[in-house]
Amino acid sequence: MNQETTEESNEESYILVWLTGIVFLVAMAAIFLYVPTEQTEGPVQRIMYIHIPSAWLSFFAFFIVFICSILFLWKKEREWDIYAHASAEIGVIFCSLVLITGPIWAKPIWGTWWVWDARLTSTLILWLIYVAYLMLRAQTDAGSMRARYAAVLGIVGFLNIPFIHFSVLWWRTFHPQPKVISSEGFGKGMETSMLITLGISLCAFTLLYFLLMGQRVRQEKLKDEIDSLKREQLYSS
Amino acid sequence: MDNFGFLFAANAFVWGGIIYYVYTLKQRSRELEKDLELLKETLSRESR
Repeated sequence: MNQETTEESNEESYILVWLTGIVFLVAMAAIFLYVPTEQTEGPVQRIMYIHIPSAWLSFFAFFIVFICSILFLWKKEREWDIYAHASAEIGVIFCSLVLITGPIWAKPIWGTWWVWDARLTSTLILWLIYVAYLMLRAQTDAGSMRARYAAVLGIVGFLNIPFIHFSVLWWRTFHPQPKVISSEGFGKGMETSMLITLGISLCAFTLLYFLLMGQRVRQEKLKDEIDSLKREQLYSS
Repeated sequence: MDNFGFLFAANAFVWGGIIYYVYTLKQRSRELEKDLELLKETLSRESR
């Protein structure tokens, strides 16, 4: 990596770190100080402001995997494989947080940690698909075949997401119906203060995604540089 | 309904998870940078 480019990207990442930190602080203030306590669910409803953004982040990350995998299969450029891999890892982390925070909310509200309804089960399947994606990448040797298999899995896995979104509309499920984008219109099923808080939290998590992606992509590029230097060393000796 | 324990647990998992992931990312980056420096040094020594 050349010196000037590294310095520029460091500066950009510092700005992003600060911006993400500030937006997260505003989001936390809104979650705990600004938004009123929901009448029927009580304080536990505030979990929604971290559960929904985690879900959004993981779906967005898997969407990036989907796009980058298509681009990799089409253009055969390593760059797209790096982006897909980095995004899949972030997606799995946040999908895990969705699967943890959901049951923590469900226990006091439904009286049980887990029910095998369509939304919960399809989210678990999505998590398993992308865990398999990461395992495939970890277990097979580096090369274009590994990247190709991973890209196919990355594309197939994403097809589950529309199913997850519509599952609460197609079947009778325990999971609450969509309130932000509902049949009544955008944000019509929510209080304005709740919508604002959720919006800030969504922004914070989206910024966090770009921050983590930057770090993860940089790591993969460093790995590639190390591998090529090792090869160089091998040939020269 | 006062379920502060559940609210605390959910936040602890999310923040704990994010902080741990950022920490491991930093560690991995540091190790990779060290490896890269070492390799570059070895290669430049070998080429001399």
